[in-house]
Amino acid sequence: MKKFWALFFFFWPTVAIIACLIAPSRGWWFPGAPMSRTGIQIDGLFYLILIIVTITFVATQYVLGYALWMGATKDPGSKAFFSHGSHKLEIVWTIVPSFILVFISLSQLDVLAEIRVISKFPEKATKVAEVTARQFEWRIRYPKPGSELTTEENPGDLYYVNELHVPTGKPVIINLRTQDVQHAFFSPQLRVKQDAVPGLVIPVWFDVLEVGTYDLVCAELCGWGHYKMKARIVAQSQSSVDKYLKQLEAEQNEDGTKSETAKSADE
Amino acid sequence: MSLTPSLKPLALAGLLSVVAAIGGCSDSAFESSFAYSEGTLSLVREARDGTKANPGVKTLLDDRFGDPQHLKAWEKLPIDFGGTITSLETVAESGDGKKLVKMTVPEGVALPEKAVSVQFVSGACSGETVQVAKWNAKAGEATLAAIPGKEIAAGDTCAIDRGAVLSSGRMLYMRHCSHCHGTSGDGNGPTARYMTPKPRDYRNGIFKFTSTNDMSKASRNDLSRIVRYGIPGTYMPSFLLMKDDEHHAIIEYLRFLSMRGEYERKLVAELSSDYSQNAYDSRLKSGEKKAEIQKELDEFLAEDLKESAGTLGDDLAEIWTAADTDEAVIVPSVPRVPDTPESRRHGRELYLSKTLNCADCHGIDGAGNGPQTIAFEKNPAKSDELYNEPGLHDIWDNLNQPRNLQMGMYRGGRRPIDLFSRIHAGIKGSRMPSFKNTPHEDIWHIVNYVLSIPFETDPGATGITPIAAETLAAPAAVTAPAAG
Repeated sequence: MKKFWALFFFFWPTVAIIACLIAPSRGWWFPGAPMSRTGIQIDGLFYLILIIVTITFVATQYVLGYALWMGATKDPGSKAFFSHGSHKLEIVWTIVPSFILVFISLSQLDVLAEIRVISKFPEKATKVAEVTARQFEWRIRYPKPGSELTTEENPGDLYYVNELHVPTGKPVIINLRTQDVQHAFFSPQLRVKQDAVPGLVIPVWFDVLEVGTYDLVCAELCGWGHYKMKARIVAQSQSSVDKYLKQLEAEQNEDGTKSETAKSADE
Repeated sequence: MSLTPSLKPLALAGLLSVVAAIGGCSDSAFESSFAYSEGTLSLVREARDGTKANPGVKTLLDDRFGDPQHLKAWEKLPIDFGGTITSLETVAESGDGKKLVKMTVPEGVALPEKAVSVQFVSGACSGETVQVAKWNAKAGEATLAAIPGKEIAAGDTCAIDRGAVLSSGRMLYMRHCSHCHGTSGDGNGPTARYMTPKPRDYRNGIFKFTSTNDMSKASRNDLSRIVRYGIPGTYMPSFLLMKDDEHHAIIEYLRFLSMRGEYERKLVAELSSDYSQNAYDSRLKSGEKKAEIQKELDEFLAEDLKESAGTLGDDLAEIWTAADTDEAVIVPSVPRVPDTPESRRHGRELYLSKTLNCADCHGIDGAGNGPQTIAFEKNPAKSDELYNEPGLHDIWDNLNQPRNLQMGMYRGGRRPIDLFSRIHAGIKGSRMPSFKNTPHEDIWHIVNYVLSIPFETDPGATGITPIAAETLAAPAAVTAPAAG
């Protein structure tokens, strides 16, 4: 029975090694590959921490297992000896982890700054839309084609709901705000997550690497309908976005007299 | 650890079934019923439940609409209940007690990819529903469970997955809509009490924001837009990500609930003046004999109500079908007038004019604070007694103040045609009246003005002083609040 417990504690770190080796290639950690530049960096940080934590966990578990094994295989007649501990060992196991922690916090500073600090935003980033969260949907406002996005609404702005179109391959900024309570703008595939705070207009930047449709969900429990607060981000080429906005503009200026001809033209 | 080993599997089985029930795998978790309206419940028992010989309101409703678990498809109504009608070409034994049939593939109609059940419409098995064991859509071949004691024959007409759209609509409705709008569409689900404005009660068959004429119902397209895009400024969220077939099913179920509610209301209207419990009591008091009233009611149920039960259905079918036709849709006779300062100015003149008098409700500068918002209205439902609070009320009895046009929040949509329709047809069920007799060009001027209000630096600064400012300040129709 004694040996069982020693083997038990050898078993789990072995499982951990296998899991950590297989997981990245199987995509167990993330909902697909990162689809934005910062997303790649975030994943890199995640794997860095994963490696450090795995090594630490496995090493300490094997030491534990070793200690148990040595205890289990000891001659039953042998005497125990008393030890008051080792100052040197304690200093080592305090300093080594603190160096690791300082290393981790320093290595992520750049990425964090790039994501959150406005002065570090890419210079070429354009403001594409304002996203207003509310219970329980995402209201989108694009500036009138050819104009800049401002915090105030302007005549000719284009409105939509639950579908955000952004160009791929270039950094874009959305202005995030909320109409009621706290929400969070979260796109798992893009690795973008930012809280929307009442009273604040928070710029969020990201660049989408590939054309596609990505989820946009609320990641802050905002009320009973939190689960239904789901939208999509449609990433497409700049020309497709322009085309979309042009179509949206036409729809929004619909005066009901042309619709018949427009409909038949569509069909 | 007190359990003996032989009992352990039993304990586990019990646990699993409980989990299944809580997890919603069991159908009973969704069991619900359609609530009858207050009007129905106010009738005397015979009028409500019917007599042995004649149906009452409840019996008629249950017969034509069923309950949520057993929905009924009243063919008369213009609802896509779902299902494909076809007939049997050949019938053979499949050997294991089942029947191997070949269905006629109707020309131009593809049989559905999947099929769960087949309901017989004609023949010896008319009315029976059987499960489909195997299905081949291309060949139209199916293996059906046999019906004990009855034989299906070639030539029988049957419907594949009858009511599939409606029942999937119901499942979706229960998941997404019912917690606010209620199982029967009475706008009184469990979360409704936390909301202002209140969720729509569909049972009047009236929807506020439509593209149709003032007397028309909402078209499928109108309901579709509301469900897709939500209503900004209210709790109604957008269901844009819903799949097309789900969207279609929900719209059909909404219309089903609206028609059911409207049918109920109209049946009650036939009976309530003479046979509500109150009317009955007062008739007894005024000296009428109980037996006489009973006899009269029996006759009414046997003749008048039976007749109107049919004609009311025809009326419903007609008016809801009409809403989906091109004739019902408002098409402005002139395109939108260019949005120039002159047009806005003219729009503001019209807005303030005595004939249209928009400012009476929406206020001189569009802030939704016109004199009518502080006047006490009569409540038509309570013999014209005054409401307790000042302001305008809708037909659902909710305080429904005019829109603050400075907010730039347009519940029924922000396209010029949406605003045009709001003015042309009014907002159904609310105090926003129809201005259908106003020249379309003038409506466009008003639309241009209204769309410019949120961006005016100085509201009302178009240089026009409100002509009726003095009369507006003291509302003509204002009545003093009732003391106490």
